[in-house]
Amino acid sequence: MNLAIVLVIAAVFALATILSVAVTRSLQTSKQSACLTGTIRPIDVEAFRNLIDPDEDEYLRRRLPAAQFRTVRRERLRAMAAYVHVAAGNAAVLVRVGDAAVANGDVQVAEAAHQLVNDALLLRRNCILALGRIYLALAWPNSGFAAARVFERYERVSGAAMLLGRLQNPRAAVRLSAL
Amino acid sequence: MLQPHSVLWHYLWVAPNVLLVVLAFMMWKRRLHREFPAFFCYAIFEAAGGSAIYAIDVSPSVSGPTYWWSYFLFLVVEAFVKFVVIGEVFTHLLRRYQPLGKLAKVLVSGVGVILVFTATIIAAYANPTAFWLISATRILGRSVSVVQCGLIVFLFVFAAHFRLSWGRVVFGITLGFGIVAGVYLAYWALMAEWFLGQRTYLLDFMNMATYHVCVLIWFYYLLLPQESVTTSVVSLPEHDLAIWNRELERLLHQ
Repeated sequence: MNLAIVLVIAAVFALATILSVAVTRSLQTSKQSACLTGTIRPIDVEAFRNLIDPDEDEYLRRRLPAAQFRTVRRERLRAMAAYVHVAAGNAAVLVRVGDAAVANGDVQVAEAAHQLVNDALLLRRNCILALGRIYLALAWPNSGFAAARVFERYERVSGAAMLLGRLQNPRAAVRLSAL
Repeated sequence: MLQPHSVLWHYLWVAPNVLLVVLAFMMWKRRLHREFPAFFCYAIFEAAGGSAIYAIDVSPSVSGPTYWWSYFLFLVVEAFVKFVVIGEVFTHLLRRYQPLGKLAKVLVSGVGVILVFTATIIAAYANPTAFWLISATRILGRSVSVVQCGLIVFLFVFAAHFRLSWGRVVFGITLGFGIVAGVYLAYWALMAEWFLGQRTYLLDFMNMATYHVCVLIWFYYLLLPQESVTTSVVSLPEHDLAIWNRELERLLHQ
């Protein structure tokens, strides 16, 4: 009987998951444009680059006592995790932006959108792996860590988003050169 | 009303089979059977198999063991066809997202192995009945439901995590399968443990009603036209794009 109860609870969870995804999807479909506006969060690329720089870690390791280094390293890892979370969130938004633009009649826009979707998906995948490594490194702060792939992918996604933005909204291209 | 062989009982068993025949015909007419051959076969198989089992059940000349053998064989083939449909849904969902193909294959294989292992362990804890074929049918139903339900939930979670956009038809098929798989899991779990004793027919009603609803869901998603709002292009918000551009500009100057 216990097994039956466990399986029924599992079935209820499964149904709840499926129905919640279905409801979320229908809400996203009906309010697509409104939801996306303002959901991309900016990332301080310079600070992110500093956090993942192995030379910085090596410098701190040489300068600080071991216990203090571990504390500082953990703080840096937590900050890194926060950045990776934001990058993953931005990637998710850009997947949807790209998906919506893929159906565009303009071939150039459709290709740019396709590229954006691919890059954003790879960024999101790399973010999962990077977060796993960061949480492992939190347990062993002395271990080496590289989030460079997330950073590189973020740069590519940024470029792809910019290209799509330019194609969809030529005024944005003017803005880029004016900055 | 909620008795075996009542009008409602007959309706809930027969109506989905009739509706599936209509669905398969409409799919063929709209050439959807070329795009979703596995689901098309599933609809035909369910309609034909379900009707055959119904005929066997109501026919007074057919013995009990014959019914259970027929039902057992039906479940075996049905399980196979359902796995093929799940594979078809996976293929359709990931076709547009090639970068995720490798990761998805690895994860599906891993999840599949875990689910089969879990189903095997669950099968080992089955309650035997006087007639072994009834036990075998219930164990099979429960084990297959565990794997199918797990795979479909994984598919939903994977797509939700990566914000993959479902096609309308793919989503409809998966949603129906997901609901059926979840309810079947609960149904077979309770049936295998003889939860309601002689009143197991109440579970049959729940099962048949759910299946009827799912067939209507498939009708809705496969045959009704797509709303135009889903095809509208979403522009990148200008303000956010400016921030992105600024960050990129900074990178370029380094």
